Amino acid sequence: MRLAWYNITHDRMRFAVTVLGITCAVFLMIFQGSILLGFLRASSKIIDSTGADLWIRGRGVQCFEFAVPIERRFADLARGVPGVSGTSRIITSLVQFRKTDGSQQQVALIGADMNSAADSNSSVRLPIPQLAGSPLGVSPEALIVDSSNTQILKIPGRLPLEVEINDQRARVVGRTSGFSSFLGSPYVFASYTDALRYLRLRPDETMFILVNVLPGFAIEEVKRQLQARLPSVEVSTREEFSRRAQFYWTSQTGAGGAILAAAVLGFFVGLTIVSQAIYSTTMEHIEEFATLRALGATPGYIVRVIVSQAMLSGLAGYFLGLAITNPMIRAAQPNIPWISTPWWLPVGVLLPALAMCGLASILSVKAAITVEPAKVFRA
Amino acid sequence: MLEHSLEVENASVSFGSGSTCVRALTDVSLKFAASTLTLVMGPSGSGKTTLLSLLGCLLTPDEGSVFIQGTNTGSCTAAEKSALRRREIGFIFQAFRLFHSLSAVENVVIKSDIAKSDQAGAGRKQRQKMASDLLAGLGLDGKLHLKPDALSGGEKQRVAIARALISNPKILLADEPTAALDSNSGRQICEILRRLADDGRQTVVIVSHDPRWASFADRTVLLEDGRIVQDSRGR
Repeated sequence: MRLAWYNITHDRMRFAVTVLGITCAVFLMIFQGSILLGFLRASSKIIDSTGADLWIRGRGVQCFEFAVPIERRFADLARGVPGVSGTSRIITSLVQFRKTDGSQQQVALIGADMNSAADSNSSVRLPIPQLAGSPLGVSPEALIVDSSNTQILKIPGRLPLEVEINDQRARVVGRTSGFSSFLGSPYVFASYTDALRYLRLRPDETMFILVNVLPGFAIEEVKRQLQARLPSVEVSTREEFSRRAQFYWTSQTGAGGAILAAAVLGFFVGLTIVSQAIYSTTMEHIEEFATLRALGATPGYIVRVIVSQAMLSGLAGYFLGLAITNPMIRAAQPNIPWISTPWWLPVGVLLPALAMCGLASILSVKAAITVEPAKVFRA
Repeated sequence: MLEHSLEVENASVSFGSGSTCVRALTDVSLKFAASTLTLVMGPSGSGKTTLLSLLGCLLTPDEGSVFIQGTNTGSCTAAEKSALRRREIGFIFQAFRLFHSLSAVENVVIKSDIAKSDQAGAGRKQRQKMASDLLAGLGLDGKLHLKPDALSGGEKQRVAIARALISNPKILLADEPTAALDSNSGRQICEILRRLADDGRQTVVIVSHDPRWASFADRTVLLEDGRIVQDSRGR
């Protein structure tokens, strides 16, 4: 479609404006998509980084961050169910973290039993402070923080560092990565026993009981039996709880909707700009389209010219959008550490970008194929 | 071979309706033989352009028929009319109607691009060669890659003629082809179209106010108020 190419490059300024509109739309779609995906991942990160097959939690608990205490003895009852190989516990709550300069920062403290974490070949693993030289021993009063939060928590390069959690002594002994919080309160990891003390929970209380199922037993069946044995709590698989948490944070808090709306808005802003640009390009060349009709061009040929114009602009805008998105996401990472751009997201955005350009051509196509060809005889 | 490649039979055309209805052509019958150059003259509003639109399948008569190469266009679908225009008719316009973003040669090739489905076997390179040869034959061999804005009026019209000729049509319809040209360029265009009627065996119909055409035409049809008032033969 040489005519399409020549038409759009003939007026370079208009072409540049069209491409810029598409670039902005592509950037917004990928950027907002990355925020949404990162948010989804972050909202279930703790759940996904455990090795448990089943999670037991208080009724109505929708996500990890807003847990309620449940009875610790449920773990003993759970171990009595056939197929259960073992249990572990996790507790969490917002606490005060006193920095070295005396200022305070609210953090989300997570305390987990050593066997809560996923096994070592898992891609994500819940960090638990370990005693040096002892794979099963926990380091007392030890904390682990995410590298992305060292600045906000004022943690220098050298560790350990004496701090306070809820006015009790603690030491930051290590850093982890991939656990940046989306809540604004950094995650801080401790052993279960220390966390119990920091949170001032009663020893007979816990918040989540994690259940591992013996090989050969169906997880669904063990879940059913556990739910029958423990009717006052909720039992779900790790995947179910992960999805529930993602749904809660994205749908019920409105955060996901807001992010998604921005991505959709990007699509419509792009659509408007491209429609306007393509329509004005078509109207500027309307007599040429009348000439094409007079010369015997079929409506299909004219549609191909206009859609090709739109698609060429779309592709140029898409690749330019890709080129600027990568550095922009890297620039945003210090502030939004959990932002995530899987490879398929930019690839996937090509489809809405081209659909946007295709939709933008509809009005132009209508104008061009209905133009009266006899118009060519008018000087 | 058909004696008359183009024919209008009792054609009437009106525009608008009710009190605003304007009769543009009334009961016009004309036959155009191959290898002839017919000049259609008449004052403004006499129906010349309407007649040309009818002959070019760009307009359908309210009454009567138009035959192109023996095909009654009244029974053709829009797609069939487009195909007739691609295959059988070459248009030359007063305002040239060239594509500003395309070079001279691309302006010619585009007609064959449109007619690609009708020209089995002709690849783009071959069609580009044909276009270059046509332009060279019209004295534009040094200006193949210039855009219309860089060409004079006469040169633009010669590009338009090359475009009309690339699909080797039997019929050439020209609307005021010399109106926008100086006398020298106008004369060159008259000679080219005359040559096409003589050597190319094309049926050439020209609508013009330009009296110079009279000496080039085999026949002159005079229209007034949508009716033929004179049909004279001989140069």
